[in-house]
Amino acid sequence: MTGARVALWALCTLVMMFLIAPIIVIVITSFNGTPYMDFPPKSLSLRWYANFFSSAHWYDTALLSLRVALLTMVAATVLGTSAAIGIVRGTFPGRRALEAFFISPMVVPIVVVALGFYFLFSRYHLLDTTLGLFLGHTVIATPLVIVMVRAALRTTNPAMELAARSLGADFWRSLRYVTLPSIKATIVAAAAFAFLISFDDVVIAIFVAGPDTTTLPKRMWETIRFEIDPTLTAIASLLTLVAVIVLVGVELMRRGSSERVE
Amino acid sequence: MGRAARFWRSREGALVLPALAFYVLVYLYPLSRIVGWSFFDPDFTLKFYRELLAEPAYFKALRNTLEISVLVTLISLMLGYPLAYLMTTTSARARRVLTVLILVPFWTSILVRTFAWLVILGNNGLVNRALLDLGLVEFPQKLLFNMVGVQVGMVHVLLPFMVFPLYGVMSRIDLNVVRVARSLGAVPRKAFLYVFLPLSLPGVGAGCILVFLLAIGFYVTPALLGGPGQITLATMIDMMINTFLNFGFAATLGVLLLAVVGGIFGLFSGLMGLNRILGAGEGR
Repeated sequence: MTGARVALWALCTLVMMFLIAPIIVIVITSFNGTPYMDFPPKSLSLRWYANFFSSAHWYDTALLSLRVALLTMVAATVLGTSAAIGIVRGTFPGRRALEAFFISPMVVPIVVVALGFYFLFSRYHLLDTTLGLFLGHTVIATPLVIVMVRAALRTTNPAMELAARSLGADFWRSLRYVTLPSIKATIVAAAAFAFLISFDDVVIAIFVAGPDTTTLPKRMWETIRFEIDPTLTAIASLLTLVAVIVLVGVELMRRGSSERVE
Repeated sequence: MGRAARFWRSREGALVLPALAFYVLVYLYPLSRIVGWSFFDPDFTLKFYRELLAEPAYFKALRNTLEISVLVTLISLMLGYPLAYLMTTTSARARRVLTVLILVPFWTSILVRTFAWLVILGNNGLVNRALLDLGLVEFPQKLLFNMVGVQVGMVHVLLPFMVFPLYGVMSRIDLNVVRVARSLGAVPRKAFLYVFLPLSLPGVGAGCILVFLLAIGFYVTPALLGGPGQITLATMIDMMINTFLNFGFAATLGVLLLAVVGGIFGLFSGLMGLNRILGAGEGR
């Protein structure tokens, strides 16, 4: 290995440590026996995890987040998959512009989107409701589904669908038996990520959730601003675990299917 | 292609309609309401925009936002380029490991990561204790509620958005071209500078624009890790709504933020295109 190559590896190792360090530190800290968030912990315990699961203050918010995330996952996957198929296989004019419009919530500042929800929802009495959170989260989760499904569709062969149709399958049958099965793994992966986007959202919750609809990230946000509660380290570790489970699931599925899931 | 095929194709186009209806009602309509709120109180007025121009605090917030975003973009490029380059030139196995190590933090909640930095960078945190123990400093350094904290937190979140587009472009570069340059007598440094680097520039452009756009609207990290000197347009919008209940002005700041993002976007979309920028990053 040349000197330049060694330097490159050294630099990249440091960058990777920077990326992964906060997660490792927070997970280790979460097993502290003392309330001081020592690192490394002077004694080990599961008390902060027990605290999370035993207090309604925290646990109820997690159940609400879970409910909203599941609803969002279904809606974003259905809307996003359908839109992606329409864009890739359709032939109407203005498809490129529509595609950009569909993806735009990924770059429009989420604070501005949340502000718009605030105005809309205050008018229709949707502030501090589960429905409001669900609608808002669906807007920010759908673009990713569209991007992923669109990419998968472009690797499939449309001739298969035409073949199915020329053999007598109608539109819905060819969709059900040819198009969707060929991108199944991507759809499931996109659904998992849509779930995660909703489950982790804090910005929209800050603007549209209220005392009756405090999600887990919103409760964490409120807590972080006023005190440093070690229970947060346990929750942070659990949220990381959720993300890892989603990623591992997607990876296993990717290996199990012939299609390329991005 | 016969008439029947065209018919079915148009049927498929109709699949965009549910999403289109949803987007118009729950996304486009509220965004247009923001513009409405910025011009009415309750009759048509320009007072919010006059206030925007008259009050230096808002100009400062805009400057803070741009300053933070430029710095985040530059640091992300400096850290992300070598990483993407390594991913391109290393073995498939090492690349998989690197990808996983980038994806795990990438998909971990931003709030969780920001909280972790609060713990690590605090006066009694890991970094300060290490510095004190090594005798490098005499007193704990202020790493939070200032530019340092904001940069650390934001680069951590946005670095993958730099690496993925970069890698997307680099992985399509034919490395044989570099080998040819070498065999024709170019030293490694020259082969890199005159062959690989220019070919990777579209990735640099896409990554920088994506990171910059995301940084401009960033809320959670500046709000938690920044201090009074890091008040951005995004954190100010939240203050207007949740603290001062000044809805008209919050809307005006929202329009300003949209205009900044839209302006930058319009400037570059001719060169790159939204799909190009986001398409390159779709490995997320």
